[in-house]
Amino acid sequence: MRYYWLGSLFALLVSACSTPAAKQASTPIHIRWARDPETLDPLALSNPSAIDAINLLHLALLQVDFQHNKYAPALAQDFPGVRYEGDSLTLLDYQLREAATWDNGEPVLATDVDFTLKLMHCPGLPNENSRAQYGFIRQVRIDPANPRRFTLVCRSRSAETASISGDFPVLPEAALDPAHTLRSLLLATLQDWPLSRSPAPAVAAVVRRYQQANLARQPHNLPGCGPYRLASWQTNQELHFQRKAHWWADKLPAAPIVLQARPQELVFSVLPDDAAAALALRRHDIDVYPQVPARIFQQLQASQAARQELVFYTHSSYDILTVGFNTRRAALRDRRTRQALSRLFDPVRLLAATQLGQGTRTVGLLPPSSSFYNDSLPLPAYAPAEALALLQQAGWQRGADGHWRQPGLATPLAVVLRYRAEEATFATTGLQFKSAAAQLGIPVTLLPAEGSVTTAALQAGDFDLYIRLIKGSPFGLNFATILHSEAIGSGNFTGFGRPDTDRLLVAISTEGNLARKRQLLRRFQAIIQEEMPVLPLFFLPYRLAATRQLQHIVPSGLKPGYAMTALAWPAAVPPASHP
Amino acid sequence: MKVALFSSRPQFGYWLALAWLALLAGAGLLAPLLPLPYAAANADLQHIATPPEWSAPSAHYLGTDSLGRDVLAGLLAGARRLLVLSLPAVVLATVAGALAGAAAGFWGNRGLRLPVAVAAAALAALWWGLELPLSSMPYWLLGIAIILSLVSWRLYRLAARWLSFALPLDSLVLGIVTLLGAVPRLILLLVLVAGPTPTQAQFLGVLILLAWPDAARLVRGQMLRVRVQPFVEAARASGLHAGRIWWRHALPHACRPLLAFAPLSLASLIALESALAFLGIGQGPDIVSWGSILASMRQDPTTWWVAAGPGVALLATLLALQAVAKARQLEVNN
Repeated sequence: MRYYWLGSLFALLVSACSTPAAKQASTPIHIRWARDPETLDPLALSNPSAIDAINLLHLALLQVDFQHNKYAPALAQDFPGVRYEGDSLTLLDYQLREAATWDNGEPVLATDVDFTLKLMHCPGLPNENSRAQYGFIRQVRIDPANPRRFTLVCRSRSAETASISGDFPVLPEAALDPAHTLRSLLLATLQDWPLSRSPAPAVAAVVRRYQQANLARQPHNLPGCGPYRLASWQTNQELHFQRKAHWWADKLPAAPIVLQARPQELVFSVLPDDAAAALALRRHDIDVYPQVPARIFQQLQASQAARQELVFYTHSSYDILTVGFNTRRAALRDRRTRQALSRLFDPVRLLAATQLGQGTRTVGLLPPSSSFYNDSLPLPAYAPAEALALLQQAGWQRGADGHWRQPGLATPLAVVLRYRAEEATFATTGLQFKSAAAQLGIPVTLLPAEGSVTTAALQAGDFDLYIRLIKGSPFGLNFATILHSEAIGSGNFTGFGRPDTDRLLVAISTEGNLARKRQLLRRFQAIIQEEMPVLPLFFLPYRLAATRQLQHIVPSGLKPGYAMTALAWPAAVPPASHP
Repeated sequence: MKVALFSSRPQFGYWLALAWLALLAGAGLLAPLLPLPYAAANADLQHIATPPEWSAPSAHYLGTDSLGRDVLAGLLAGARRLLVLSLPAVVLATVAGALAGAAAGFWGNRGLRLPVAVAAAALAALWWGLELPLSSMPYWLLGIAIILSLVSWRLYRLAARWLSFALPLDSLVLGIVTLLGAVPRLILLLVLVAGPTPTQAQFLGVLILLAWPDAARLVRGQMLRVRVQPFVEAARASGLHAGRIWWRHALPHACRPLLAFAPLSLASLIALESALAFLGIGQGPDIVSWGSILASMRQDPTTWWVAAGPGVALLATLLALQAVAKARQLEVNN
């Protein structure tokens, strides 16, 4: 036993003094993920990790070019040609790349795009988010003379329609509907299919096949046209992606950055704990650590040894820390109650405490740098006196027992605040709110839980308030997925949605005139601040730390904060010395 | 039979341990009354992860953790949590374990006879319990138990002895003890509290559930020796009721080892609760304990002061309980 421990100690010392192994081009690149993707269903896109993974397996018509922070053609040969029809329709003419094929060698055709859009509207599939996102595409007109050419008919005149129309993973029709039964149904028919009516037999059969494929856990059951395949998945531990030996885009003479896939192997390590992730980075267990918390980033930058080994990048992002209110709860139905509770959050001190001041406060869900930002609105601020006044205006009266009661409500005002555990920013925000609420006599129960548990609770409406990050983007400005009444139960956790606000959200996503769009968006921000279904606290910056040996690191303000398929090891690297 | 508490002079370490535990109990009791500048669950946003500071009058004397919580206030809140959670859990678990173990050891598998109606009613109660909604189950079970008691009592008086059956109490208790002991305690605790966040009472119940088998096993073993002692035989020969012999004569002797065992059981539960808090399972950041403060160091490993206070307190408490248990063991042996 004694020799065993001596041996272990010796091995530890040797490993501590050794140099990291030289990196070959084929060496896997290890990237930190904060959470498991949970499902790799290409329609669900359930969390950021799942989106990253699905983008490796499948391709979209247009994908984000992280170098220029804009969309670039991927499966599409070029940007779509834009035409207008009538007052409200935009026609987008797409041409697919000749070289684009599925894993089985079959070409990617317009019928696959049509089929994917129809899948987004099949009942019984996890497509709620996709349906809300791409519901504006009403028809796919396939060119009878060219199976790779098609036109998307969009119910929108928005300038961003062209770019956002192509950002969904295209799926193979042949694998899920070999008899082409869905072709007989129009996309608009599926979109307008009444919920009360049972689905058409063809739709039911496709849905059954899709469910039987179990794509959530077995993505290899569906051929993809992306550069990678999933080699292994150890839940909550590691996902291993291998580059396809013969990927169709390799044959392109000059592949654009969105079609470059340099790493031979990508390994995503699920490390929920930030300190553990930082340690893993220092130990060379991971090579890329995206979205580093402020304090850990500061400590790494302050360490001379870490500076020698790592490179650091910071970028403003579109991720916004928000507080959501369950508007379906009787106590929170009155907007003045929601406004009162919102005044108990302190964005200024929270920004300083959790992000060391790096980040941007905002009046709404748009960043202040946006041309649509409503700068006439006041920034949310900590104001307990205002909260008190608003509570009283909403009819709440404080009883002798210290509890707030409202006539007609059996229970006093008490708040259950949910958030994802392992997030120090969320915990600090929760504690700050709880102590501010306690001063007014409002009891708050904090319920941190694992990511999937929290999401399920939010979807079931089992909360009063939640804290979560909304991962935004500068494209599209479509807030229907989180605030439209049709998205209640999927992306709209707050339960907010009125006919007028629904119409406004649709108008925002379809408006083509910039001046009118600005007007609509300014009104939208004012309504959200007034109705307070969601309180935006501040935008967070992206902080990235990576091994210095890595090349082609392209940091970005767009999720996930860097171009993962651009990363590469240098051709030959001399081993770096360890401190 | 008289039980001597101390037959030899206790060691200095014993008194030191007692002093520490008394200090801890005092701190826990007085925690809500102490004029601390910060509440344990409040986040001081201007002082996140700051080291100990003594210069200002309202400074964080033991620093703050990565969430801005005052470490000193957290230490006191942790001490209070030991008093209101771990200590009652050990007391209740020890009582429950002692009763179950003593009954199993005394009556064995054949000693306790019950009317047949009891078995039928127990099965019916089980069926009803599984069928009825969970929320109303306690009321139904209470009602069934009352009816069951009345019926049993009446039947017992009326029915002949052939209508009764021997309850295999020893096998029953041993079976449950073995079942609970088969799964590592931390794993079992994780399974029980990892779902919806338990209330304080539920958490207490879970701790009792986990802790009682040890006491039961110990007392059962002791009871197997006690029940054949001459004084028990003499009591039986004098015609005393078995229940009275068990309660008045056998049980006090069988429970003697618990004097030494209870502090160890408390130490074990404190460690378990701290481990759970460290893992951050089953409680929010507003429920402050030593384990949860220690856990906040994971967010920022450079904050040594966050580990120092709760770490030393936890270690000192566990060592003190061990010292007390050792001294008690010596007393029991003597």
